[in-house]
Amino acid sequence: MTEKDIVIIGGGPGGYAAAIHAVHLGASVAVVEKDSLGGTCLNRGCIPTKALIQSVEVLLEARKANELGIEIGNITANFSKIMARKTSVVNKLASGVKQLMKADNITVYNGIGHILPPQLVKVNDEEIATRKIIIATGSEPAPFPIPGSDLPGVLTTDEVLELKELPESLVVIGGSYVGVEFATIFNGLGTKVAIVEKLPLLLESIDEEISRRLAQTLLRQGIEVRLRTTVKAIEREGAVLKVVGDTPQGEQEVTGQMVLMATGRQPYTEELGLPQLGIKLDGLAIVVDERLETNVDGVYAVGDVLGKSMLAHTASYEGEIAVENALGRSCQADYRAVPGCIFTHPEIASVGITEREAKDSGIPYKVSKFPFLACARAVTMDETAGMVKMICNAKNGRVLGIHIMGPHASELIAEGVLAMQLGATASDIAHTIHAHPTLSEAVHETAMGQLEGSIHFQRVP
Amino acid sequence: MNPKEYKYTQEHEWICPEPGNKGKVGITDFAQSELGDVVYLDLPSPGTQVEQFKKMGEIESVKAVSDLFAPASGQVLEVNQAVIDEPGLVNHDPYGDGWLVRLELSNPSELDALMGSDKYDEFIAQLGEEDSE
Repeated sequence: MTEKDIVIIGGGPGGYAAAIHAVHLGASVAVVEKDSLGGTCLNRGCIPTKALIQSVEVLLEARKANELGIEIGNITANFSKIMARKTSVVNKLASGVKQLMKADNITVYNGIGHILPPQLVKVNDEEIATRKIIIATGSEPAPFPIPGSDLPGVLTTDEVLELKELPESLVVIGGSYVGVEFATIFNGLGTKVAIVEKLPLLLESIDEEISRRLAQTLLRQGIEVRLRTTVKAIEREGAVLKVVGDTPQGEQEVTGQMVLMATGRQPYTEELGLPQLGIKLDGLAIVVDERLETNVDGVYAVGDVLGKSMLAHTASYEGEIAVENALGRSCQADYRAVPGCIFTHPEIASVGITEREAKDSGIPYKVSKFPFLACARAVTMDETAGMVKMICNAKNGRVLGIHIMGPHASELIAEGVLAMQLGATASDIAHTIHAHPTLSEAVHETAMGQLEGSIHFQRVP
Repeated sequence: MNPKEYKYTQEHEWICPEPGNKGKVGITDFAQSELGDVVYLDLPSPGTQVEQFKKMGEIESVKAVSDLFAPASGQVLEVNQAVIDEPGLVNHDPYGDGWLVRLELSNPSELDALMGSDKYDEFIAQLGEEDSE
């Protein structure tokens, strides 16, 4: 029987990062993957959607090229080419992960992993003996059981990535980041899009001010946004699907050629054999301690299967922490600074607490903001929509949260994440020289707004 | 010219009293010309309670971000969707199509504390003098 130091079940960003890190630390490792390496993120999530968003960005740029003195004739979006490129990007990165596994001598078993107590993992007919196990099985779309959810034309986020033709109209159920990203993609390509969300805000977890700005931005881009609408049924009506929901104004409906269910994900633990193992669950999610170990000795769990933030970068981080602990080091997962990025146009990115959370926590805090219209680089790019918002502890100046809506927000947030991880203050950022002319100056100016004031912007009293 | 029937604040908001203790709110022509092209409005949603002279929203223009204060206390009944879709209306027609929200006033006598149009004209004339000193 094969023997390994660590068997990792699931080859997504949690699992494969853990595997490679374990090899770096000298362990022998196997990964069990039932589908494709890279998991949801690479095959059905972050990566394919970003590839599509890039096509939309290029389309938008091309359309305004004239304003920047570049004359382009006919501009056409070719949906099948866009989708084919998306697939080739996914394939390129997937083969990269495969290559990494090979280079590090990590055995990859294709199949579903079952854990057999005490220290055995069974895949198909093979049994692997192991000292430690890391569960990184991820998540799957949560069922949204309403009448009509199984009608043809009602798509999951997996299915929408395989469309052959651009739908004329699309109703997106769910205003989370997944919903607004798909809405941005299809609206950008010319589909008439409506988002239906049960809450009074889009993107419930982000700063409210930015959520309101986003709702207005989407409206101006031509996306219909219906908040406070609880969907209760989908019905076929001739050539279109009718989404029926309850709103404070009574029952309302919105129709589309297709419907996308962006209604959330749930931990995936099927067939692992968790009940026989006695692993503690909270609903469907695996419960772990701060070392990411379950209640069963030597069995760890990381990523979406923990049912928390469900972000690829969190899963990778947790994978590394779990490996450290599995190999006898001792470290705790630290979630002080977890960035979140939403690839709308403009992008949104945040780290730390929102203004609402600051208010509710009772900590004395100060808010500063800086609009991109006052940032020289943003003006040269003709991308001035949005702002940087910083929330600091009013007593000691420590950064508690940074929220950015604007060009390349997903890149700019890295500075805020590092600041928070190091416990930096607004003064630390303000006294750091930022290159001119760059978008990063907007973060710098926002930090100055916490102190004596921004250089390039005055608030009109 | 600033409409005679409107009431004005020192923060350059106006309120136009309507029957049934209601009032439409906007910013003055002076405010919009100081701000320049308005690009974004953060307005309180219907149902929000606002308090006289307290912040109720923000206006962002190509050169400034400015707080928007409530000229009177009450509940927001309606937000001008046209101005959300096209913030430039605030510049083109600050007293008409560029209105921002409609309030249900909880204490209509608060309007007595605001300036009439003549007084507001004098007020901004003074501001102009201070600037030129």
